[in-house]
Amino acid sequence: MRKQSLRANLTGYAFISPFVIGFLVFTFIPILISLYLSFTNYNLFNNPQWIGTFNFKKMFTQDQKYWNSVRVTFIYVFAGVPLRLMFALFVAMLLNTKSRMVGFYRTVYYLPSIIGGSVAVSIMWRNIFNEQGIVNSLLIFLGIPPVAWYGDPNAALGTLIALSVWQFGSSMLIFLAGLKNISPEMYEAAGIDGATAPRKFFKITLPLLSPIILFNLIMQTISAFMTFVPAYIISKGEGTPMDGTLLYSLYLFRQAFMFNNMGYAAAMAWVMLIMVGIMTAILFKTSKLWVFYESKGGR
Amino acid sequence: MFVRKKTALWMLVALLFILPACSGGGSTGGASNGGNNDKPVQESQGKKDKTTLRIAWWGGDKRHEYTQQIVDKYQELNPNVKIDVEYAAFDDYWKKLAPQAAANQLPDIVQMDISYIVQYAKNGQLEDLTPYIGNQIKIDDVNENVISTGKINDVQYGVPTGVNVLGFQYDPELLNKAGVDSIPENWTWDQYEEIAMKVRDAGYVMDGSMAPDIFFHYFLRTHGYSLYNKEGTALGYEDDALFTEFFGRLARLIKEGAVPSQEKLTQTKGILEESEIVKGTGVGVWQWSNQYVGLQAAVNRPMELASMMGPNMEKGLYMQPSMFWSITSHSKNKEEAAKFIDFWINDVEANKMIKGERGVPISASIKEAIVSELSEPEKQVFDFVAAMEEKSSPMSPAPPVGSPQVIASLADLVEQINYGQITPEKAASAFRQEANGILANNK
Repeated sequence: MRKQSLRANLTGYAFISPFVIGFLVFTFIPILISLYLSFTNYNLFNNPQWIGTFNFKKMFTQDQKYWNSVRVTFIYVFAGVPLRLMFALFVAMLLNTKSRMVGFYRTVYYLPSIIGGSVAVSIMWRNIFNEQGIVNSLLIFLGIPPVAWYGDPNAALGTLIALSVWQFGSSMLIFLAGLKNISPEMYEAAGIDGATAPRKFFKITLPLLSPIILFNLIMQTISAFMTFVPAYIISKGEGTPMDGTLLYSLYLFRQAFMFNNMGYAAAMAWVMLIMVGIMTAILFKTSKLWVFYESKGGR
Repeated sequence: MFVRKKTALWMLVALLFILPACSGGGSTGGASNGGNNDKPVQESQGKKDKTTLRIAWWGGDKRHEYTQQIVDKYQELNPNVKIDVEYAAFDDYWKKLAPQAAANQLPDIVQMDISYIVQYAKNGQLEDLTPYIGNQIKIDDVNENVISTGKINDVQYGVPTGVNVLGFQYDPELLNKAGVDSIPENWTWDQYEEIAMKVRDAGYVMDGSMAPDIFFHYFLRTHGYSLYNKEGTALGYEDDALFTEFFGRLARLIKEGAVPSQEKLTQTKGILEESEIVKGTGVGVWQWSNQYVGLQAAVNRPMELASMMGPNMEKGLYMQPSMFWSITSHSKNKEEAAKFIDFWINDVEANKMIKGERGVPISASIKEAIVSELSEPEKQVFDFVAAMEEKSSPMSPAPPVGSPQVIASLADLVEQINYGQITPEKAASAFRQEANGILANNK
């Protein structure tokens, strides 16, 4: 009997082993190596030299650019994610109405997300905000002087945030699913009691949607912290102007692949991991205050 | 039932052994960009006398196309050699080469850039070519100033594929419209500024977007200095007034509106179609001679080339190797590799295909032999480079390890000056501190 169960287990292990081996070789071991590298000075040519916590010390105490990239990333996340979610919710509510062609609209609004985050979209965005792009042509048509969108230190990060807001499709779909789950009777009952539309929104829609908002918030925050491609494409990999678009992962990339400071880049990656972990933990903790679960009878 | 289970188990175990083998093969294939790493083994088993060379370069489609043709041609003429090619765009190329170097798997012949060659040479990745020069690689027709650009600490680590030279590439008609008949012979920076003002008054702009590391370096050379010291352990100049003079002038031109603003420069950077000269609002641009043909095609009006500003242009000007061919120290067929490099420099038919796309050929007789094949702008470049070659001095030592970071820091500071965030004086000392900090690692 015992022998047989061992055999059965073995079969199970054999079946999952392609994944397990793949995970160990291509994910887990590299993670460990990157942790080791973060304590070394490594330029790819020479063997890594153990330098203890020097990389972290340098990062926190000497590297102004590092702090600038942290600042830029936080602005990007804290401005971009809420805007994106608000926009996604707004569009989801529009698409939740019963009208003809709604399927078509849903497809159209989701399209940017299918190609989202890719190089092509970033290049398109670059062209839209170019000196002679659509946006400036429109401004000139309205008699407003054109703006050097990603040449102006004050505007460049804004165009990146606008791009992230525009790629709202996936959160919108999730919101749409959530909205579909709210039973129409609630609105009807509130309507009979004389509730206005804004009141229905704040007292019914938002509370019932709050678990989904939490989910979207966490997912979008994590991915926003890791944004790389748009900044890389739009600033030609340099984070210009005046490091205004030097997002964290772009600076990490520059350290790793432009300056060959692999150890330093690995250290940056670990700090990023910890930062994202802390942010997620904070979101979870505060969620008790504002997320409403029906099943628990309120809080 | 029992047996079937067992068989299934064995099949799985077998599968497990096959899987890693597949993924292993796939990943090396991917890393070498379809360079077929497995092939050499098969070949050497089949015919022992056939040598396989791996060659890698970066570039655009046009370059990949003709380079492949030359490789084919070489294989046709040398049936005992088989050449596997690996190529990529510039950025990807270096990302691929570094891990290959770390794994001792570099191709036999690699295309090297001036900003990387020191790093690869110092880390023992490149072979000293001195024994091959004059034997497999003939350089009788090559100017000494040119071949020596491939030397680092007197060791020949690369053979230049061709040369470029700095200059002003401009539209003479626009210049006339601004009331300037022609660019004066041996013009100076002051004259440049005067002309820029006239151009501005006529409603056009000059170019102020001089890549700081290249043109500031030229400026330093005219004063007898260089951007890095000989050992590459610190900056090569002591007087920060030089920095202030050079970048102060460029910033002044921006302020006066004689050149595009930094906002505009950042916005249009790297987009040829949006540059002022292509739009017909700019008189010209400062850049390397090999960029002329592409620019001329985009501008589509008659253009000309003018020399750099002086005083002391002769001291500042140098022939810049567009890129090098280097042989790596891992190579097992160094002699064969050297023969291919010779074919590249000295074969007329091959150079009729290259047409100076990797810079003006370094061999004088090749230059003459292919003139008839050139288009009008290509001929202009060849003539310009030939004229400048006589006025040039030996190149400064190749940029040291860490120079990409130094250049990035310089570009940042220049940006801050041009946005008016920092004075040239402050930037000068900040640059000195940052650059020397980075370069101190080379001690």
